[in-house]
Amino acid sequence: MIPSLVVRSGRSAWKGPFFVQFPNLREAKINNIPIKTQARACTILPDFVGLRFMVHNGKDYVPVIVTQDMVGHKLGEFAHTRKKFSYKFSRNK
Amino acid sequence: MVFIFGKQLADKLYTRMALTQFYGIGAHTAHRICARLSIHDTCRVRNLTPYQITALTAFLSGPTNQPQVVHQPLAKHTYKIPAASTSIRSLPHAAALLNPPPPAPTEEPAYVNGRGGDPLRRLKIENDLRRDVRENIAHQRMIGSYVGKRHAMHMPVRGQNTRNNAKTARKFNRVERWG
Repeated sequence: MIPSLVVRSGRSAWKGPFFVQFPNLREAKINNIPIKTQARACTILPDFVGLRFMVHNGKDYVPVIVTQDMVGHKLGEFAHTRKKFSYKFSRNK
Repeated sequence: MVFIFGKQLADKLYTRMALTQFYGIGAHTAHRICARLSIHDTCRVRNLTPYQITALTAFLSGPTNQPQVVHQPLAKHTYKIPAASTSIRSLPHAAALLNPPPPAPTEEPAYVNGRGGDPLRRLKIENDLRRDVRENIAHQRMIGSYVGKRHAMHMPVRGQNTRNNAKTARKFNRVERWG
């Protein structure tokens, strides 16, 4: 984690990082069950490392496996919300 | 023309403007550097003394190796200015004036959470800074975040419109960013 990430994010340092408490965190760690969540703004804490998440992207839940390097980022950064445009030719008018 | 750190600085420019040619030095930092080296605001490049040019070169090639700035305390408001006719020897601090002691190395305040320390000593310019930027982008790309993805797509990173324009991002946003 980059130590000054909280500072650089523009959020007051005294508040600490924003995160959501997952009641099933311990259970998920033991049983390796993915945590299904819509909390995209939740900061990835050091004790999330190794967990599996299913993060909502507005339509469905995208699997995210948390690694050490992701600490300090938000969960939503890893569940992309846009689909790449691809042109489909349609004959019926 | 003055050559400093691989760049030609045109003679007619103000020094504090000429310094902004370096990647990583903007108007503010250039002004601070000039103040640090006692180069006045309207000093043009052709007016720089050889000593100042050497000092600039030394500063730009290794800001971290620069000697610490010695803290010059201001006089207290109770200080009474002695009359101009007073001889130096009769002043209370005559010994320090006549034989200035070498500046004692002071502990630099630690750089914590974006505060403290000397910002000029942390200065990174040119290739060092470019490498840093590239490393940060590579980090984003490696962990698979949206920021890294947008860099790889040569697209704006922070939600700007892309229907038109987005010219700067198309030009610069690369995983191996050069500028």
